[in-house]
Amino acid sequence: MTTDTRRPSADDPRVLLDEEIGVYEQIPPYPPRTEREAEFYTLGDGQMFINMGPQHPSTHGVLRVVLKLDGEKVVDIDPVLGYLHRGVEKLCENADYHQAICYTDPLEYISSLFCEWSPVIAFEKLLDVEVPRRAEYIRVLSAELNRIASHALFMGWFALDLGGLTPILWSFIERDEIVEMLAALTGQRMLFNYFRIGGVNGDLNHEFMSRLGFWMSRATQQIESNLTLLNENELFVRRARGLGTIDSATALRMCMTGPNLRATGLPFDVRRAHPYSIYPELDFDIPTRTEGDVLARYLLRMDEIKQSLRIIDQCLHQMPDGPIMARLPRLLRPRPGRAYAAIEGPRGQYSTYAISDGTDQPFRMRIHDPSFIHLQSVGLLMPGNLVADTMAVMASLDPIMGGVDK
Amino acid sequence: MSRAWGRLTLPGKVVFTLVPLLLVLSVALVIVIAVFGGAMLDILVANVGIVRFLVAVTILLLLAPPSAFIIIYMEMKIIALMNLRLGPDRVGPWGTLLSTVHGLKVLMKEDFTPTGADRIVFTWAPIVVFMASVMGALVIPFAPGLIAQDLNVGLLYFFAVGGLSVVGLLMAGWSSYNKYSLLGGLRSAAQMISYEIPLTLSVVGLLILAGTMSLNTIVENQGPWFTDWYVFQQPLGFVIFFIAATAEANRTPFDLTEADSEIVAGFATEYSGMRFGFFFFAEYINVFIMSALLVTLFLGGWQAPFPFPELHIALDPGSLGIWLLLGIAIVPVVATLVLAAPFYLLRSSTPWWQALIAGFLLFNVLAVGAVLGIAYVNFDFVAGILWFMGKTYAFVFVFVWMRGTLPRIRIDQLMGFAWKWLLPASLVNLFVTAAAIVVVGN
Amino acid sequence: MDRVLKRRLKERFGDVLTGPIRQRHDETEMRIAARDVQDVMRALHDDPTFDFRFLSDLAGVDTGSHMQAVYHLWSATTADWLRVVADDLDRARPRVPSVTFLWKGAEWMEREAYDMFGIVFEGNRDLRRIYMPPDYESFPLRKDFYLADDAARSPGAGVRHMEQSHAPHNATADALVRKTNA
Repeated sequence: MTTDTRRPSADDPRVLLDEEIGVYEQIPPYPPRTEREAEFYTLGDGQMFINMGPQHPSTHGVLRVVLKLDGEKVVDIDPVLGYLHRGVEKLCENADYHQAICYTDPLEYISSLFCEWSPVIAFEKLLDVEVPRRAEYIRVLSAELNRIASHALFMGWFALDLGGLTPILWSFIERDEIVEMLAALTGQRMLFNYFRIGGVNGDLNHEFMSRLGFWMSRATQQIESNLTLLNENELFVRRARGLGTIDSATALRMCMTGPNLRATGLPFDVRRAHPYSIYPELDFDIPTRTEGDVLARYLLRMDEIKQSLRIIDQCLHQMPDGPIMARLPRLLRPRPGRAYAAIEGPRGQYSTYAISDGTDQPFRMRIHDPSFIHLQSVGLLMPGNLVADTMAVMASLDPIMGGVDK
Repeated sequence: MSRAWGRLTLPGKVVFTLVPLLLVLSVALVIVIAVFGGAMLDILVANVGIVRFLVAVTILLLLAPPSAFIIIYMEMKIIALMNLRLGPDRVGPWGTLLSTVHGLKVLMKEDFTPTGADRIVFTWAPIVVFMASVMGALVIPFAPGLIAQDLNVGLLYFFAVGGLSVVGLLMAGWSSYNKYSLLGGLRSAAQMISYEIPLTLSVVGLLILAGTMSLNTIVENQGPWFTDWYVFQQPLGFVIFFIAATAEANRTPFDLTEADSEIVAGFATEYSGMRFGFFFFAEYINVFIMSALLVTLFLGGWQAPFPFPELHIALDPGSLGIWLLLGIAIVPVVATLVLAAPFYLLRSSTPWWQALIAGFLLFNVLAVGAVLGIAYVNFDFVAGILWFMGKTYAFVFVFVWMRGTLPRIRIDQLMGFAWKWLLPASLVNLFVTAAAIVVVGN
Repeated sequence: MDRVLKRRLKERFGDVLTGPIRQRHDETEMRIAARDVQDVMRALHDDPTFDFRFLSDLAGVDTGSHMQAVYHLWSATTADWLRVVADDLDRARPRVPSVTFLWKGAEWMEREAYDMFGIVFEGNRDLRRIYMPPDYESFPLRKDFYLADDAARSPGAGVRHMEQSHAPHNATADALVRKTNA
């Protein structure tokens, strides 16, 4: 009697393969290399793995999540990244300082202006450039508009992940109007590439101002009416309340920033904590909530929209005249040195750490993205919840896979 | 010969082949009927019950896809309008043919079975689900006399057959060889079995009131005024039934079995082509049938909300003789002229031919209205089917409306709601009804 | 620039600093040896006079001659970002203690630095590749990373890149790193 050493193919069990098992074909996919991996890929009694993504209707891009389930209950979760990895940091090291900015643009394609902003500030620090005040005002104005667009879209996505079909289309009304406005200002709808080292690309124009004026006159009312779709919905509130709760000490340990941290009651906002640009001169509040659950994160973002409207209003009233670009040479060769710049984006703290070696290309450019940081806390928030809430919790952290995968 | 054949277009080739074939076949058919017709008729007459059943089932099966098409179109269009979109607007007038095109699309798609699936179960699952949905319509009275089978245990039959669809969903979930499908199938089993209980219990109070399980009799009891509808005697039962029916039809906010943001498409994940089409149709037919049952039980079925005044047109068209023909010839001409006159006279810039066209159109509208009015008054089933469909589609609209508005609820909330709220509420409803009957007497 | 912070840092960590404390714009930079990372971080985090509770960023850097692990910290007690540079890691065997005992959120940032530079963070429970595939062998952000070499082995073989002029990558160093991690 001979033993058949061939094994059935994973694609078709009737086909027998005689090559040895490759690194991808084992389940778990490869021998565990770390303590954590060994722990995760060991199944307990009655548990099973389920693979969510990278092709799944609601993973916000190409995220793959391996869930360890006990029935419908999530026991453990292992996000697998890298499906959208483009090596932006490497690309930036091979581009000159102007080109590097447009590589950072598509990181978080929902809020591109913030992705441009932190490298721009870092490069300005390397070059010791003073940015004209009008340019700073324009930056704040356009970035806060982008923040509203991002939060409006968050509301729709979040509702979609909870099974509501309508809010996403309603929220796209606001977003589309803002995006059209910014397109009039920057020439692009999505990847604006508007901020330049030392200023901005173009001055405010008539179309932008007229659209902005018209939109501002009804924005508050419009957003309020959109919010009534969800805020007063019993089904929605019951699902979101008490789900994915995190306290402020744990949030700090997880390095969370932005709305996710403020929803736990800690008023940390880079705009106030470590002011940049003209934010010290502006009057706005930092909304916080103490619950730290999914509902608090959602409501907090909706509160932030109102604060952003206040900031835009002040920018429009205080906008000075003057140049929009500092006088700089075409080819930038900063002195060797290191610079770090952090800004407060719609998802948290975006920061850039740039090292110059005296050439016209950054020697090292480190991009820190809040989506990346927040996504890892899913592993902390999920265990004990149901499969149905995986996407709700994930959506409430609001990660954008472009930023997570860099 | 072959050159002539080659020049024909594709429809030409089809017609050229079919016409001789049809000629031969029709001649053969005539001969067969002439020879065996009497005997066949005798057999049919002798088994009229079976014939009636087969005809009814065939008609129901034939009508199921069109009614699903209508509801799918409704859903696309209404949700689009709620979402501030346009919705379908290209295929057919206002996009009305789009759902038909969807149906053709699923027919033409590749129909594959995934590796590792249990082929037999996988193939039969959509059929079971579809038949379970459609067969429920067998006992629903669409109009006076227009009922496929007036069973004396009609309601029981309905719940029994409706409960079969969970078997189909479990089959689909288990046989697909996919964890998402399995989760969907298990969810559907848990959900539908839980909601079956309040669904059935909520109508027991009504059954005590009605004293029968025949849906036809239940409808006949609810007349002639709308105050006699059971919804006014069983408001709690109505609400429970509506919620449980939503869950039974797997509609938002209870569409956990196919929650796309959680488990892709649930039990239907691995299905494609017409097998998926069966699931798709079954869902919409379920919506229709649940609405129809709701209307039948609680809202008077085909009964009008108020008794229509009895009109008897004494005129017998046969007695008119030759004047009938003359009338048919003359009335349109005269009516068109009479109706066109105001258009021509009131606005001097209107050319005569435009006035004539307007008059003719107006006459047509009036004539159709008159014919429908006469049909409504004279034929019970026309009035019945109009009221029945009107009420049913109002509830279909409510189902669609909920889908456009509400987010989905979680599985533990769903089960908790069924067992902690709906079940006690339906028991309370039953006890209160029974007590009221004892106290008040029959 | 926060002169007070510079003075306080010098007083507290004078014996572990490996270089002068530098200040520029709103940043204060201190350099320490890799073995002191855990003590210094714990002191900065726990000492109420420093109170650096936020880990803003964790980056790996390849200077061409040695590796660095760079930490950026925020505190309400100062207007500066504090940059802690764990300096002079051996390029062949870059090892540095993990800070996940203070900030669990540093886990993925350390994974990223490992993935891109091969820096081994001792004490990180989950130090495996995060962006690149698990069977990938080189570390793309190193200055000696030779893209053409990888391209030859990858499905996209034949892709040419501007980096061909750089030195070929150091296979023995990578092998050592893998062995130490295994």
